[in-house]
Amino acid sequence: MKPSILDRLSKLQSPINVLAAVLLGLVIGTALMAIQGHNIIEAYTALFNGAFNGRFNFGGTLERFVPLLLSGLAFAVASQASVFNVGVEGQLYFGAIVAAYFGYVIVGLPSVLHVALVLLLAGLAGAIWAFIPGFLRATWRVNEVCTTIMLNYVAIFFTSYIVNHVFKNPNIGVPQTPTIQDSARLARIMMPSRANTGIFIALGMVVFFIWLMDYTTIGYKIKAVGFNAHFATYVGFRSRWIMIGTMALSGLIGGITGAMQVIGIHGYFLDNFSVGYGFDGIMVALLARNNLKAIPFVAFFLAVLKSGAIGMERFTGIPRELIGIMEAVIILFAAAEALIVIRKRVSLGKGGAEVV
Amino acid sequence: MEPLVKLSGIIKQFPNVVALKEVDFSLREGEVHSLVGENGAGKSTLMNVLYGVIQPDRGDIFIRGEKQHFHSARDAMNLGIGMVHQEFMLAPTMTVLENIILGFEPTKRSVLDYDLAYEQITELSREYGLAVRPESKIMDNSVGEAQRVEILKALYRGAEVLILDEPTAVLTPQETDELFRVIASLKQHGKTVIFISHKLQEVMEISDRITVMRDGKVQGTLDVADATKEKLAVLMVGREVFLNIKAASTKAGPVVLDVRGISARGRRKLSELTDVSFQVRAGEILGIAGVDGNGQSELVEALTGLGRVDQGEILISGTPITNLSPGQIRKKRVAHIPEDRNTSGLCKEMTIGENLIAITLDQPPLSKHGVIRSREVNELAAKLVKEYDIRPANHRIRTANLSGGNKQKVIVAREVSEDADLLIAAHPTRGVDIGSIEFIRSILLAQREQGKAILLVSADLEEIMSLSDRIAVMYEGKIMGIVPAAEANERVLGLMMAGATYDEATQGKGDEVIEA
Ligand SMILES: Nc1ncnc2c1ncn2[C@@H]1O[C@H](COP(=O)(O)OP(=O)(O)O)[C@@H](O)[C@H]1O
Ligand SMILES: [Mg+2]
Repeated sequence: MKPSILDRLSKLQSPINVLAAVLLGLVIGTALMAIQGHNIIEAYTALFNGAFNGRFNFGGTLERFVPLLLSGLAFAVASQASVFNVGVEGQLYFGAIVAAYFGYVIVGLPSVLHVALVLLLAGLAGAIWAFIPGFLRATWRVNEVCTTIMLNYVAIFFTSYIVNHVFKNPNIGVPQTPTIQDSARLARIMMPSRANTGIFIALGMVVFFIWLMDYTTIGYKIKAVGFNAHFATYVGFRSRWIMIGTMALSGLIGGITGAMQVIGIHGYFLDNFSVGYGFDGIMVALLARNNLKAIPFVAFFLAVLKSGAIGMERFTGIPRELIGIMEAVIILFAAAEALIVIRKRVSLGKGGAEVV
Repeated sequence: MEPLVKLSGIIKQFPNVVALKEVDFSLREGEVHSLVGENGAGKSTLMNVLYGVIQPDRGDIFIRGEKQHFHSARDAMNLGIGMVHQEFMLAPTMTVLENIILGFEPTKRSVLDYDLAYEQITELSREYGLAVRPESKIMDNSVGEAQRVEILKALYRGAEVLILDEPTAVLTPQETDELFRVIASLKQHGKTVIFISHKLQEVMEISDRITVMRDGKVQGTLDVADATKEKLAVLMVGREVFLNIKAASTKAGPVVLDVRGISARGRRKLSELTDVSFQVRAGEILGIAGVDGNGQSELVEALTGLGRVDQGEILISGTPITNLSPGQIRKKRVAHIPEDRNTSGLCKEMTIGENLIAITLDQPPLSKHGVIRSREVNELAAKLVKEYDIRPANHRIRTANLSGGNKQKVIVAREVSEDADLLIAAHPTRGVDIGSIEFIRSILLAQREQGKAILLVSADLEEIMSLSDRIAVMYEGKIMGIVPAAEANERVLGLMMAGATYDEATQGKGDEVIEA
C-alpha cells in the first residue's frame, strides 16, 4: 500500500542519515590521520585494542558506557513529551551528592537495600531538580532549554559548596566527600577495571522505559503530548501534568546517572567530577533520534570511541582529540537537523508543543 | 467560434498525487463557466495553471488560439487573466486602495498618483456594483468586502477573464446573492467568468456552462439547460448520492445540555460570547448556524472545557460542568468532533488505531492497570475501521497520510463509538468529499435516532437545515433566535446570520438591517 511504503521510507530515512554521518566522520578522521602521516591500520588496531582487548580495556569501555547510556536515556525520555532536558548534567550532580550522603550516613543495611535506597533517593533529587524547569515550562511556557542550562550551574556550584564546606572528607586535601559504606557499593565485574554491576541496572532501566513508552497508557499519553499537545488536551489528557511528570522522570534518570558514578566508580562525590556526562547524553539521544531502542547501541559505539581513543593515543601518539573531532563531525552531520530545532526553540523563546 | 482559452492535455504531478491527469478545458468569451468537483478534484490546481502560478508538467495553454507559456501570474495578467484565490491574498494592515494598486501603481512623473488611483477605483466599483471603502484598512473589512476588493484588484489589473475560486464558501446567502449580481454585471460588460464551487444549486443558478471534475480529470462539460443537480452529482461523485436524508422527527427526550447565560472572551471582539442560552434534548439535533467567526468556536470551546467561561452556567443532565477540564467533561459523557481536525482532532504522527483509542484508552478492555492490551486495541481499531469505512482499511497507517474525508471519519468513529449522551459536532463535514459528507450526516442522524443529544455547528446552511430539528443562529457572539426547522428557510436564517432577530427577519424588516 502506497502510504505505508512512504511511512517505512521516512522511518528508514533517519537511520540512513545517521549511518552516513558516522561513515563521513570516520572518513574525515581517517583522512586527518593520513595527512599527519600516521599509519592508519596501526591507529585503528590501537583503537580497537584500546576498546576491547583484555579485561581492563573492555571494562573501561563498559565503564564509560553506563553514564552515556543513562544520560542519553534521560534526554530521550524527556524528548518523548517534546521537552528538551538540557539539564541532565545538573540533575546528575544532585543525584551524586545525595547518593554520596546517604551512601555514607546509612550504616548497617543489607547491600541490596542500601543500593536501592541510595539510587531511589538520588533519583528523587534529580526528579525534583527537573521538576522546576518542567513546571515553569508547562505553566508559563518558560523555555526549558534556558532554565535547565542555568540550573546546571546552580547545581554544580551548590554541590561544590557542599563538598567544600559542609560535607567534606577532612582527611584529604581535595574537596571530596567521605567514602561511602561498602554496603552502598556496586560490585566490580571486570577487575582491574572499574566496570560494575551498575551496567545491569542501567540496561534494566532502558528496558523498563521502552516498555513504559510502548506498552502503557502513561507512555501513550506522553507521546501524545509530545506529538501534539492540542490533541492530547482535546481528548482529555492532563497535558500540563504529563509534561511536568515526564520531565521529572527524565530528571530521575539523570539523578541515578550521577549516583551510579558515586556508588559504582568513585565511592565518593568529587567536586566537579562530571566530564560532561549530561551533555554526552544529548549527543547519544540525538544520534539515536530519541529512539529508546537505539540508545544502547549508540551509547556503546561512543563508549568504544572514547575508550579506544585513549589506547590509540598511548600506543601511536595520535592525540585523542582526533577522535573528538570525529565525534564532532558525526554529530554535526547526524544531528544538525535536531540541533537546529533546539536553536529555534531557544531563539523563539518557546517550545514546540504548547500545553493548555 | 474559437475559444478564448483552451487548456489541452494538462498534467500536473505533486509529490504525493497526480492532481491533473490530462485535462482539457475550454472557455468561450463572455460566458459564466462553472467548475465543480469535490475537494481535491483538482479545480484550484487547474486554475492556478491557467493563472500562471503553477507550471504544468505537460500540456498546452492557448489564448485566442495562440500557444502561451506562463512563467508567473504576471504573464497571465498581461493577457487579461485574473484570479481571486480561495484564501485572499491581501495585506491586512494596508488600505483597500493600496491593496488594489499594489504592483500596478499609476504614476505621474514617477510619483504615485493617488488621486488618479482613487478615481479609477471608484469608477470601477460603480461600474460593477462592487461597494468598497477605499481608505479603510483590510483588517477592518468583512470577508464579503475583502472579496470585493480582490475582484476589484483583478479588474484593475485589466482582467478580461476572472477566475473566482470557491467565492461563496465564506459568504452568507445574502452576500452570495450580491456576488451573483456582480457576476451578472461582469458578464454584461463582456467579461468572462470562471466560477468554482461545489454547491450545485448556486452553480445551476448562474452558469452558462458547467464543467465537472473528479479525481484530476474532467468528467464532462454541460450546457446549463442540459444539467440537473442529480446529473452533476453523479458526475462529481461517480454514483448517486443522497445528501438530504432527514429521518422522520422523533420525540425529543429530557434536556441533556443546558446552557444558561454564558459569556466568554473571544479571539476577536465579534466572537465574544454574550449571554448565550439554549438547551439540547435527548434525541434532537440543535443546529447552530452563522457566518464563521461569530462566536461558534468560542461556544464549543466553552462547552468542552477547552476555553474558559466568565459568566453563566453549563449543565449536562443537571450536573454543572462549567469550567471543568476537557477530561472531566468527557467523563460526563460528552463527545466532541472538533472544528480543526488537523491540529486538535487527530495526532498525525500516530496511526489510525492509536487515534481511535485515544479517549477509551483508560477503560477496560483496552488497558488494565495502566498496561495497554494490544490484542483488544487492534481488534477494536480493525472493527472501527471497517464499520466506518475508513480507507485505506489498515489501522496501522499513520493518519497524516489520509485524505480529509477519511481523517474526519477517524474522528467521527472515535467520538461516536464512545457512546456519549451529548455529541458536539463542529463543522463535521467541512472540506471533506461528498461521499464522506453523506456518510457522516447519516451517522449523526443515526445517533439522534438512538436518543443522543446533538449540537451541530456548521456554516453550511444546507447542512444545518437538512439535519437539525431546531436551528439557533449566532451573530457577533449572541444567539439571534432559535427557529424550529419546519419554519426555517434560507432567507430568514440568512437575515439572522447578518444580525436580524427572528421577528425582524420574518416581518421583512431584515433587509434594512443589512443596509444599515
Ligand atoms: N502545492 C501542492 N502540493 C502537493 N499537493 C497538492 C498541492 N496543491 C494541491 N495538491 C493536491 O492536489 C490535489 C488537487 O487539489 P486542488 O486542486 O486544491 O483541489 P480542489 O481545488 O478541487 O479542491 C489534491 O489531492 C491536493 O492534495
Ligand atoms: Mg480548491
